Amino acid sequence: MTATPPPSPVDRECRLRERVYLGGAYALLTFEHAEIARAQPGQFAMIQPLVSPDLILRRPFSIMDTDPATDRFTIFLKAVGPGSAAVFRMEEGEKARVLGPLGRGFTPPASGESVFLVGGGYGVAPFALFSRSLRDASIDFRLFYGGRNARELPLISELERRRIPLTLSTDDGTRGEKGRVTLPLQAALSAAGRQARLYACGPEAMMHAVSRIAAERGVPCEVSLDPWMGCGVGTCLGCVVKIQDEGEERPKNRPACTEGPVFDSRRVVWPQEKHS
Amino acid sequence: MTSPSLGVEIGSLKLRNPLLAASGTCGYGVEIAHIVDLKTLGGIVTKGLYMAARDGCDVPRIVETPAGLLNAIGLQGVGIRAFVESVLPRLREHDTAVIVNVCGETVEEYAEVARIASEAPGVHALEINISCPNVKTGGIAFGTDPIMTHEVVAAVRKASALPVIPKLSPNVTDITVLARACEEAGADAISCVNTFLGLAIDVETRKPRLAFGTGGLSGPAIRPLAVRMTWQAARAVKIPIIGIGGIASASDALEFFIAGAAAVQVGTMNFSRPNICAEIESGIVDYLTRHELGSIRDLVGTIKYPR
Repeated sequence: MTATPPPSPVDRECRLRERVYLGGAYALLTFEHAEIARAQPGQFAMIQPLVSPDLILRRPFSIMDTDPATDRFTIFLKAVGPGSAAVFRMEEGEKARVLGPLGRGFTPPASGESVFLVGGGYGVAPFALFSRSLRDASIDFRLFYGGRNARELPLISELERRRIPLTLSTDDGTRGEKGRVTLPLQAALSAAGRQARLYACGPEAMMHAVSRIAAERGVPCEVSLDPWMGCGVGTCLGCVVKIQDEGEERPKNRPACTEGPVFDSRRVVWPQEKHS
Repeated sequence: MTSPSLGVEIGSLKLRNPLLAASGTCGYGVEIAHIVDLKTLGGIVTKGLYMAARDGCDVPRIVETPAGLLNAIGLQGVGIRAFVESVLPRLREHDTAVIVNVCGETVEEYAEVARIASEAPGVHALEINISCPNVKTGGIAFGTDPIMTHEVVAAVRKASALPVIPKLSPNVTDITVLARACEEAGADAISCVNTFLGLAIDVETRKPRLAFGTGGLSGPAIRPLAVRMTWQAARAVKIPIIGIGGIASASDALEFFIAGAAAVQVGTMNFSRPNICAEIESGIVDYLTRHELGSIRDLVGTIKYPR
């Protein structure tokens, strides 16, 4: 499976074309932006409403889906702070400053590999787009989608509509299997053997757990990191993550926006390990 | 009527327009060249450079506050030699003035970084960072003491024939004392000002929201403070002042010129609006035309302040 290189990022004022409210603090927003409509799975966009008094920084959003035919792309949004809330409150037709596509996305699997996607809560977004390219390349895949409870899996109907093979789990058992998303993942990996490849996006603890499972089983794994990001282009250096490559004595601070957000999990030094 | 002139001279540094991208907000220029046409800028001021590469602070490094940004990056950088050898050749391909932000933990280090930068082709001026609040040694420790400020600026002056531009800290009682120390030590101009020392607290954990603890506040929140300090410094010295602090529009930039700045730097807003300098330039041209001024130089220090 090969990917055509993504377009260079372009900074545009573009319109919100469609807004679908998903309950709670969740929504799907579709913007018109020709370059981001050709993004690769795992890339992101920096977005700020044109009218957003007193807000300084744009916020990063992973690209959930694209439609090159109409030059549109969709983000899955959870309003958590003032920046994401300002985007959440946008109305159809309103304009935003949008920069993208940004970052390094998921490395395509080799043909014959079984792909296991692991999405935690809000972090499931990029796997909608990724699923499409996996299907186009006839790769066998399954998405393990977990959250604290049923309300924190707001994307289920969207994913089902795309006929993505899903295994659901919740910590409290209100939807799918009861327990962490890693339980059904472990079971499926045992059945699959060594031709597996993992991709994880979600809370840090979940991605850390998935990367440990990958290491124990000796299968490749990529994680999409989500540190606080300021500019998206590598100049503010706010979003650095600790990365240690083979042969390096110590981890180095590397910007997640330009060198990631997707990293080979073996390179990531997780926060708990920093001081050990 | 011909279009008003935006060209300015800072010592021997000639700028096609008086809008510079501030240190720490445009990397080394090459990172943003694919989204910003660098020739729309008067110049760029690089991220701070020491002799050695530095890894900076832990995260969180940035937090947004009302109309502002609090940061403690800690001067992560590649070091002056790596900059000169592997970054500068790519930056030189762009038609814009290159101002190297010089850092040091000692006076000798400042002078050595300045010497290496000066010997590299394609560096047009040096900004002396005596005001970073986010490092344990160097930075602000030099910029809040007029004697140490004089010593650093004089040492860099001696090490370089390029225009020398100390960047002042606003975290002082009287900025005119530091401005005069710079002038006496042979500075060609003064950058005014760096970030204001701040602290944001997560009330749930009662810990600072930045890993370093305190940080430097920038953005529109500090603009009136920076305009006031630019006005004070401009009256205290004869060398040009480069005004910095929360510029987000042409009108904001014009305030600094009227207060006495010969040029300005745009910082924080580059993060969310990388092409903001082009918008500011066109707004300044409109203003000068409307006020029948032939040059931006005609506006500098024209504040009508009843005293």
